[in-house]
Amino acid sequence: MTKYFRVLLLTAILSTSSQQVLAIDSQTLPDVDEGVVSINTIDPYKRVGYTIGDVIEREVTLTINAPYKLIETSLPIVGYEKRYRGKVIGIELKNIEHSKKEHKDGTTHHIKLAYQVFTNSVVAKNVALGPEYLNLINTNNKKQLVKYRIPSLDIAVSPLSIFGQVKVENNMSQFLEPLLIKDDQERKGLNVAIGVLVLSLLALLYIFGKHAWLPRMGGTFARAYRTIKKLPNNEASLKKAISAVHLSFNQTAKMSVFNDNLDEFLKNNPNFSHIKYEISQFFGLSRQVYFEPNAQHSVGNNPIQWLLKFTKQCRDCERGLIPTTNKTGV
Amino acid sequence: MSDVQLADWRNHALTLESEVNKVVVGQQTPIRLITTSIFARGHVLLEGDVGVGKTTLLRAFTRGIGGGYQRIEGTIDLMPNDLVYHTYLGEDGKPHVSPGPLLMSGENLSVFFFNEINRARPQVHSLLLRVMAERSLSAFNTEHYFPHMIVFADRNQVEKEETFEIPSAARDRFMMEIPIVVPNDDAIMEALVFDTKFHNVDALVDTVKPDVLQFDELNAFSSVIQNSIEASDTLKKYALNLWKATKTPLDYGVKVSGVDMNRLVLSGASPRGMSMMLRAARVNAWMNNRNAVLPDDIHAVFHSTIAHRLVFSPVYEMRRTEIAREMLSGIVNAVSAP
Repeated sequence: MTKYFRVLLLTAILSTSSQQVLAIDSQTLPDVDEGVVSINTIDPYKRVGYTIGDVIEREVTLTINAPYKLIETSLPIVGYEKRYRGKVIGIELKNIEHSKKEHKDGTTHHIKLAYQVFTNSVVAKNVALGPEYLNLINTNNKKQLVKYRIPSLDIAVSPLSIFGQVKVENNMSQFLEPLLIKDDQERKGLNVAIGVLVLSLLALLYIFGKHAWLPRMGGTFARAYRTIKKLPNNEASLKKAISAVHLSFNQTAKMSVFNDNLDEFLKNNPNFSHIKYEISQFFGLSRQVYFEPNAQHSVGNNPIQWLLKFTKQCRDCERGLIPTTNKTGV
Repeated sequence: MSDVQLADWRNHALTLESEVNKVVVGQQTPIRLITTSIFARGHVLLEGDVGVGKTTLLRAFTRGIGGGYQRIEGTIDLMPNDLVYHTYLGEDGKPHVSPGPLLMSGENLSVFFFNEINRARPQVHSLLLRVMAERSLSAFNTEHYFPHMIVFADRNQVEKEETFEIPSAARDRFMMEIPIVVPNDDAIMEALVFDTKFHNVDALVDTVKPDVLQFDELNAFSSVIQNSIEASDTLKKYALNLWKATKTPLDYGVKVSGVDMNRLVLSGASPRGMSMMLRAARVNAWMNNRNAVLPDDIHAVFHSTIAHRLVFSPVYEMRRTEIAREMLSGIVNAVSAP
């Protein structure tokens, strides 16, 4: 019974003294003598760019020589809000892992601290992890309590977005999805290439096409071309062919075109200027066939074939193309 | 007549043109038309403002053609007999009769120049109408012939006081009515004002080489031209369409701005008018060294041979020149050949 009472009494005393130690403000204790504690820290490589919610880990290894020992109740408490000049600094200890290894000359404590950032700012600002104060006790003299200061680590907290920035993609926030390499230029180039290809194909269709299924196709000269192509090669056909071409000229000019108003026609239809010589040849042929049989023309011995080529040239002019000219007869 | 002779006469014609172009500058088109008219044996009416050179132009041609030349001034009191005879009291105190301008040169009369024709009375126009059409006149119980005569007349349309409108029947006798306008070229305008050679018209006209043409051979040669220059079936059809278009322009889609086309034309070109047009077109083809008439030849003479023959509703008569020009241009643009 007495033994049981003694144990109970000792426990009460120890717990009371422990409460007394806790109640001691660590910062008021004297610093431990130099050489008693050696420290080694593993700090995060990244020192800037932290923002709200980030967790920063820091590992501290303390070797405390005997007869001093760490009062483990002085280890930082999870969830404790640190203040500076009365204001919460916004760095909170999220987790702490502590392990120790005792050896002959002392004890090695391995402390893994995980801080979480609970602050933010419109501009980057410095904050500190720590300092943390630990209390040591001299086991040879239990009344001697000292403190050891784990140095603080300065980091910079950066805002979630650049102050005043409107384009969210310019922010380097981790809350945004990863920015991918932009391929706009490549896509633009691809689209242009496809467009050029399509236009080239259309142009080829337009040049070689014979039917009225594209804009400015099926013009009056295109119709004349198809008409002449179907005609047999005889004198009556020649008259029909010339008449068809005259009709095309008249419809293009919206008036009757004669040799004496050709300049006016070319002025109003400059596309046809490329074949001015061929047009004069045509009117020479028309003159010989329709008005003056003794006159000479310069289109060669196969007028219908020449007319076919000429009408194709006119068709190109009608479509705004530059025709190939051939100043010799057929 | 051989091609050589045709070419020879063409050279004469071009020489005449060249001579007249020296004294009347900036009027190449009217000069070409008058030359055409001479070889087509048609009378010419010049129309234009005062002082633009109409009289000088006709006098220059007259000198180049040769033959008898007579001239009369149109006045409000001019009577038909003033053209035929002249009466006076002789030294013997007895009345005498002498030939008037029409009879004075007899059959050698080649140019009868009627200045300011619209100042003459309709009676005079009536006489002239017969002389122009038939080239003959009955006077003193005798039939007088003027086989080589061409009437050159001019009128100005600016002045309306004391003038008489030439009736359409008289207008139709003229092969051509040719407008004379002041040239636009500044250099020519400056020369007309500052070059002293243009100040003395008599001296200026005297510089024209006289008798370039043989007036008494013109009729015969004119026939040669008309027989030598061909007109194809296509050309005939084209001319026929032009003729129809002068009668019913709306059928050919011809419109004149600000004009009711249904009411405009009372009478289109006459058959005589169309034949004169073809005569002139043949001469134009010959002048351009061609053997056949082309649409271009018709275009060259179309306005001058047709415009004055059209009879418009009276409401449009005041705008005759402008409307006729627009309508005939519309016809040329609307009618195609072939």
